[in-house]
Amino acid sequence: MPRKSKFDKSKTCIKCKTARGNIVIRHAVYCKTCFTPLVVTKYKRCLDPHINAAPDGQRRSTLKASGNLLIGLSGGLGSTVLLDITSRCYFSTKSSTEDGRKGGKAHPKNDRVWKQASVCFVDTSRAFSEGVTKDRSEDIRAMVEQHKEFEFIVLRLEDAFDISWWKQLGGYVPSSDIRANLANEDLVITEAHLQSSDPVASLRSYLSSLPTATAVRSSINTLARLLLLHTARSMQCSHLLLGTSLTSLSISLINSIAQGGGFNVLEESFEEWTPQIARSAQDASSDSPHLAGGVCTVRVVRPLRDIGMKECAAWAWWNGLQVVGKDRTFDPDGKQTIGGLTKDFIVGLERDYPSTVSTIARTCAKLAPKNEPDGQCIVCERPAQRGIQDWKSRISIRSLEPPSPHPPHVASDDPPPISLTPHLCYACHTTLISRSSRSTVQNGAEASLAPLPVWTRSALVESDAADVMGTKRLVDHEDMRNAIGEFLLHD
Amino acid sequence: MTPTPKTCALCSKFRAIIKRPKTGQQICKECFFFVFETEVHNTITEAKLFSRGDRVAIGASGGKDSTVLAHVMKALNERYGYGLDLYLLSIDEGITGYRDDSLETVKRNQQQYSMPLKILSYDELYGWTMDAIVSQIGKKNNCTFCGVFRRQALDRGAAMLKVDHIVTGHNADDIAETVLMNIMRGDIARLGRCTLICTEGEDTIKRSKPFKYAYEKEIVMYAYFKRLDYFSTECIYSPDAYRGHARTFLKDLESARPSAIIDIIHSGEAFEVKEEVRKGQKAQQTCRKCGYMSSNDLCKACTLLEGLEKGLAEARIIDVGGRTGSHEMPPEEPREVTKLDPS
Repeated sequence: MPRKSKFDKSKTCIKCKTARGNIVIRHAVYCKTCFTPLVVTKYKRCLDPHINAAPDGQRRSTLKASGNLLIGLSGGLGSTVLLDITSRCYFSTKSSTEDGRKGGKAHPKNDRVWKQASVCFVDTSRAFSEGVTKDRSEDIRAMVEQHKEFEFIVLRLEDAFDISWWKQLGGYVPSSDIRANLANEDLVITEAHLQSSDPVASLRSYLSSLPTATAVRSSINTLARLLLLHTARSMQCSHLLLGTSLTSLSISLINSIAQGGGFNVLEESFEEWTPQIARSAQDASSDSPHLAGGVCTVRVVRPLRDIGMKECAAWAWWNGLQVVGKDRTFDPDGKQTIGGLTKDFIVGLERDYPSTVSTIARTCAKLAPKNEPDGQCIVCERPAQRGIQDWKSRISIRSLEPPSPHPPHVASDDPPPISLTPHLCYACHTTLISRSSRSTVQNGAEASLAPLPVWTRSALVESDAADVMGTKRLVDHEDMRNAIGEFLLHD
Repeated sequence: MTPTPKTCALCSKFRAIIKRPKTGQQICKECFFFVFETEVHNTITEAKLFSRGDRVAIGASGGKDSTVLAHVMKALNERYGYGLDLYLLSIDEGITGYRDDSLETVKRNQQQYSMPLKILSYDELYGWTMDAIVSQIGKKNNCTFCGVFRRQALDRGAAMLKVDHIVTGHNADDIAETVLMNIMRGDIARLGRCTLICTEGEDTIKRSKPFKYAYEKEIVMYAYFKRLDYFSTECIYSPDAYRGHARTFLKDLESARPSAIIDIIHSGEAFEVKEEVRKGQKAQQTCRKCGYMSSNDLCKACTLLEGLEKGLAEARIIDVGGRTGSHEMPPEEPREVTKLDPS
């Protein structure tokens, strides 16, 4: 049987209609010369509308960001291509005449879009025992140093548990060590005297307390994302660029939906993040130190979100880019985790049905959260939904007895334990408690007492979170009183 | 050394004999029956599905979901005093060797539960059996015909029984799979409504899914412990390849983390189609041929039937002249379609 043709009509480039094609992108043939502007156009179409603080509609004005730029680099294909295209499009050192730019050097149009630009790599090698994964930060540094215009920053995943790192960023440091008991649904918080704990040990303890391999993988992603975001904020960055290609965007959309993150489906492709601390400071006073420099919202843009993995690979190959590669030690066969299974599934689909990844991304772009958010999750710092626990307890009964309310005199002596659960979004709560038959965690409460990331601890004890909890206790007390009011006997 | 038997995580009295697929808790048989039924009851009451005196038809195929649904609906109706008149409604697609046996299960349920039963066939409604359709169009894509026809057939059967409501045995796995499929094929209209527990057309009957949050594995478990018998034969015609793809993926996700099914449904309920996209969607109309709700002039079933009849006419032309006939060729004897009675 003759093999089915990979392209629809001819072998000639559909753009210039003269040259012989070099690549087939979703049944359309392009030559190498036309491929470059095609990719750059798609890239700029995703990024440019988000650069200026306020959109200027149809009129295309000078691009000027309100802050600096941070690029998240994992060493994978997408982020390597992202770094290369960003460097060419926005930081090219060509003179105005070479470049054909109008208006001369001093023209505001030819100013840099961002004053400063940095590249940040989050090293995850110490998440597991020594020797399991290699620290690739030096390989990445060598790669970034080819681009003189970017400053290189290395973050370590354990920084998420490092009080000194958090202090440097101006975060609030709680005076006690806060841990959560992951053995039950309520995730009860215990406070202990603050000891100088080793961030690496805390990170490993946190990850080993998680109930599934899926939870470990998604927690690593969440920690890395928050490290990048907090770093971006501390560096007065208005934009954080990530190298998520169309293929990886589809994977993260399905991955997020499969883990209960439907409420945050929009944030997977574009996000405007305001940290918890800035929100509370904004509410309290406008001249808070958290808002120093005026930048408190970071836009997370994925400029490669219309460019498939195949196009990224072709760009890297034709431009001689060296891809260091991502850390694949964890779940190498992709069979253990929802993330790994989703990746295998989508990459397989893309091979057989090349339009599917684009369909997934386009479909999800037409969705919006159903209800208004009820605050921010204190682990992933994304909008959280209300009524999650009621929903969960209604559709899966885990206890035969309804929780009995405490009479007021008991409540005053023995305050109810503080729970992490009301401050979490559905996906983070599920990550911390959902088990499987292949659970990674040992049984027993002691093994499940997990340290928490610094921003979560900070949010729990910081004024607004404390207020939330204090108010909640008070309301409960009042509710109880109202409920039994008619039965109270007066002296 | 034999491990000590565990006590039930819910009642703490009896020996746990199952690990609940949905929560991972180890519980006893009676507690399992209780939580399974109570969760269905919670689903029904939270969505305010029924009113006292409603006539409700249970879409019964003789498979596990509908067999367990009939049992649970009868039990809950008695326990909580819903005050419903329950009926069984079966559709005979006309697939020799597949539907015959399962219809026997439905007939047995009719006796066991003392519920009136109505069986309606595709042949009776459309003049086509699935066997005839497959001989015409082949094994590929025949699931489209079957799915579209079944939906309409249930509505028509319900109208004949004069019921207000049809309940179907769609379970949590089916809904999670549909959410994934609709995202992957970009079906935004269906994505918006596939997680709804109850759907209602303009002049059609309410249709709901009380097993929306019930895991398929738990339905099988319930049938096993209650000793309910059912037929689990796979359809002899080719399964929907795309759905099969999504189902395999979902099963993999479930084995990585069992809550994945309920998490996907939660995701599906947490988002909706953006207002501006919704405005651009087609408004619902009624089919000019049969009066059923439709997105176009002709409903999907009538469009498919026209295609089938045109195909027959074309086949005749090919037989005679050896050439493909005109696509505008009308059917030789236009089919009479049963009009839907809005009353």
